[in-house]
Amino acid sequence: MDKQRSEMLYESGVDVNDALARFMGNEALLEKFLLKFCSDKNYSELKDAALRRDVDGMIRTSHSLKGMCGNLSMPKLFGLFTDQLTALRSGKTEDALRLMPQISEEYDKVVKSIKKS
Amino acid sequence: MDRLMSDEAMDRILIIDDDEINRELLDNIFSAYYLIDKAENGKIGIDRIEADPDRYSAVLLDAMMPVMDGLEVLRRMEKDGLRNVIPVFLITAEASTDVTREAYELGVMDVILKPVVPYLVLKRVNSIVELFRARKRLRSRVRMQESELIKRARRIAELNRGMITALAAAIEFRNGESGEHVSRIHDITEIILRNTKLGDGLTEEEIMNISLASIMHDVGKIAIPDYILSKPGRLTSEEYDIMKTHTTKGAQLLETIHELRGSEVYSYACDIARHHHERWDGRGYPDGLKGDEISIWAQIVSLADVYDALSCKRVYKDAFPREKVISMIRNGECGTFNPQLLQCFFSVEDKLSRMYEN
Repeated sequence: MDKQRSEMLYESGVDVNDALARFMGNEALLEKFLLKFCSDKNYSELKDAALRRDVDGMIRTSHSLKGMCGNLSMPKLFGLFTDQLTALRSGKTEDALRLMPQISEEYDKVVKSIKKS
Repeated sequence: MDRLMSDEAMDRILIIDDDEINRELLDNIFSAYYLIDKAENGKIGIDRIEADPDRYSAVLLDAMMPVMDGLEVLRRMEKDGLRNVIPVFLITAEASTDVTREAYELGVMDVILKPVVPYLVLKRVNSIVELFRARKRLRSRVRMQESELIKRARRIAELNRGMITALAAAIEFRNGESGEHVSRIHDITEIILRNTKLGDGLTEEEIMNISLASIMHDVGKIAIPDYILSKPGRLTSEEYDIMKTHTTKGAQLLETIHELRGSEVYSYACDIARHHHERWDGRGYPDGLKGDEISIWAQIVSLADVYDALSCKRVYKDAFPREKVISMIRNGECGTFNPQLLQCFFSVEDKLSRMYEN
């Protein structure tokens, strides 16, 4: 991965070095999953669930997204999904819903920089 | 790593996780050291484990999964008796929850936090797999050594019996009998102890030792002159007195065998040699012991000796038919015996009589 892409990803919220360490330096595998992250259905399903105020659906998708962001070293998104999940599990649905705009903003930023090649 | 050499030498681990990134991440971490199988949920995972538990050296198990979660997999493994057979590592995003506690209670070796840190998870899993491998090696070595020891002990016991029988048979030859008499005394003693309440409270080893000791009941006859031992007619009272000393001389002889003194058989052998001619009514020899003063094994050998003598041809008599033997013993024509002993003896006499069928 060239320096430019690595820096761009870092600025958008992907800690590339940390992620590469987890992927044992396997760049191809990291890129594969970064792309998969962009096309993963969980994000759109989370938005739908939030519109319907479907708590179970939100827990399921937010949990999956949290896992992915953890593995792909996206600290901001990881933190947001962690907070959202905690809120959902303790019945604070409004708090969880209030996090949605911030989540969307961070998500779009990351996806945009991943897709740029 | 030297383990990369061949497929056979490589251990295999099973990754059970519904999340593809996790599966691939773990695969990427472990594939240099292990063969990898993957399952997308607990159900598929447990099916693979149950199909061939020996296949896996470790299981990496995600806690939260659809269809069947990690805890359910652990419960199934527990039920299958696979706990502590295959080391399981729980992979979870939350360390201190009820799930982790229950997982530990169900026997997981370690909990690994997500997102995983490669060198850490690798180190932990390798250590435990190595531990299990060493434990397994040790267990199989101990099992091998145990069976080797048992084989050797059995061989020594056989050798002992062989030598003791040879000694007793050599003495038997002098009064024109084959070695079969001592073998039968051994078997009669063993059958009575094993099949009647007279053997209650005796261990398997004690029964074997008593039966072995019974073989030596007449060793004292080596000290009796040939003309008395082989005399076809009735003994004079002087001759009979000499004949009677085979009991005390037998015990003395056994005392001189240093190797025997250290063995479990010794006290039985001396007791039986000295007291197998005592009588329940106190009119036997050499000590005139009465009733329960005579050990039960000396009593058993005493009766076995009489039974065998009556059932076979001897220098001084022919073999008696079975009915006659039974009635002679029952009517006290060959000495008085403990009534309880007689009752036990008759309860197995059918089995004993088969020794004389040929």
